[in-house]
Amino acid sequence: MNSFLRLLYRDLKAGIWSTKSMIVMQLVTPLFYIFVAEFAYGAVIQTMTIGNRNIPYVLYLAPGIIVMQIMFAASIAGAMLWIDKRFAMFAQILIGPFSRWQYILSKVVSIMLQGLLNAFLVFIIASPLLAGLSVSPVGLVYIAGSLILGSLFFGCLTLAISVFIKSNEAFNAVLNVTFTPLMFLSSVYYPLQNAPLAIRIVSLANPLTYAADMLRAGLLGVYAPFLPLEIIALIIVSMAAFVVATVAFRRVKP
Amino acid sequence: MADYCVEADGLTKNYGKVMAVDHVSFKVRNGEIFGFLGPNGAGKTTTIKMLTTLIRPTSGVASVLGFDVVSKGGRIRPRIGVVQQEPSFEMALSVEGNLDLYGFLWNVPKEERRNEIEVLLDKFGLKDARKIRPPELSMGQRRRLQVAREFMHDCELMFLDEPTTGLDPQARRITLDFVREKVRGGMTVFFTTHIMEEAEYICDRIAIINKGKIQAMDTIDNIKREFGGVSVIHLRVVDGKQALNHKLERLAGIERIVHPQTDDEPIKVYAKDADAVLSQIIDIITSSGLHVEELRIKEPSLEDVFVQMINGKGDAHNE
Repeated sequence: MNSFLRLLYRDLKAGIWSTKSMIVMQLVTPLFYIFVAEFAYGAVIQTMTIGNRNIPYVLYLAPGIIVMQIMFAASIAGAMLWIDKRFAMFAQILIGPFSRWQYILSKVVSIMLQGLLNAFLVFIIASPLLAGLSVSPVGLVYIAGSLILGSLFFGCLTLAISVFIKSNEAFNAVLNVTFTPLMFLSSVYYPLQNAPLAIRIVSLANPLTYAADMLRAGLLGVYAPFLPLEIIALIIVSMAAFVVATVAFRRVKP
Repeated sequence: MADYCVEADGLTKNYGKVMAVDHVSFKVRNGEIFGFLGPNGAGKTTTIKMLTTLIRPTSGVASVLGFDVVSKGGRIRPRIGVVQQEPSFEMALSVEGNLDLYGFLWNVPKEERRNEIEVLLDKFGLKDARKIRPPELSMGQRRRLQVAREFMHDCELMFLDEPTTGLDPQARRITLDFVREKVRGGMTVFFTTHIMEEAEYICDRIAIINKGKIQAMDTIDNIKREFGGVSVIHLRVVDGKQALNHKLERLAGIERIVHPQTDDEPIKVYAKDADAVLSQIIDIITSSGLHVEELRIKEPSLEDVFVQMINGKGDAHNE
């Protein structure tokens, strides 16, 4: 079997499995959001207007929560690297028949798979709320693109952060500081068209907005005003994040 | 096939102003156990890290299995095995899971893995711990697991960086015997330790490294002979000790004499040329008609030589 696939199998078996409690925690949060949105927010905010369409708030929120879920799942990528470094498996693997390139690729792909799995589980659990939606073939492309590019971007972002931060505690703190503004200054919770200008500008520079709008387009058939530009931007920042993570990873000392 | 599987020439690694490895040169022959001995911080692990392509030398060259460690790391790594000094495990997996996954990473077929796991669990006394995860193992069990794991795959050259750290004497002996068995099967071993009796037990040749420089390199016997310095002659007689002591004090070539505190202890005569002093002692005994209970030369141990060398009495030997 190919070296990369063997490393990928290892990540899935030993890496992600070892962080399963974190995965469960990450699943609980979005489910809580979705159901609270249905029963609490839904009573207060009935509909949201996107373009010229009105949609129930819970439907608006669901894609944002799924994308946010991908972002949180990506933090596992950094945790996996920390675990490997802490228990000297990073050096042990680099001494073996593998290259650094294969190592980082396996981390990125395994975290993408993890993100997709988490998103899929949220889809399944939230399916009663999403019942009645019909997704077109083009919509499926949007959905797949959003999940894959979102996983790639946030997976690479956390990997790059984990390279530069020297302690696990600092790593978690930096992730919190990074992720919180990304969450609230995006289109995850509310549409940007009526937001104050400053928030709109910042949110439109946020890859989480791009992924959420892309997923919303695929799932609900509603299109944010700058969606084509957002998709292009998401592709570019994802590729750039991959390059940055790969280059940064060369600095990691075994 | 080349005679040497490791060749280092002027290998150097410095971290800023700290010279971790300082222009060392050595060769490891195919099929031998080459001991790399030194105190903590001597440069043993840094040397291994350079030879296993984990870090780049600051200067100098080294080849492993005929390939340059800087430019051909990808050709070297599939043919070597490394037991690092640092504990390294898959913490989420059991002992058995660790062995199996490691074999899988090395592309060992499933059936072969299954068989090898049983052999290694048995050899390293881990059968009862097979379902236990590393955090719950004792320190010795963890070390045994780490060493055993590296034998899940075949390799031509094995680097063992202080593999017996934390092992009890029995486990240490089992581990060393297992390594010897593998060497009989054709493997070459690069073995670091600071336990001298371990080196005497297993190594064909050794290099002693201190502060990044190689102090001596040869077979253990030759090193003891060349760098051993002072030997000790043990002497016990039935009576006439006082007269004997006076005569011993006048002998030529002795360093010092330690007189016994009890009747069971021998007189210890320290001399650089023990053979010459011994013949003088025999002359005294014969002429005095003394009855001898014990008379022998105790050669300096490798540990004596090592301590002497580390204390700065040995000359650097960076050939």
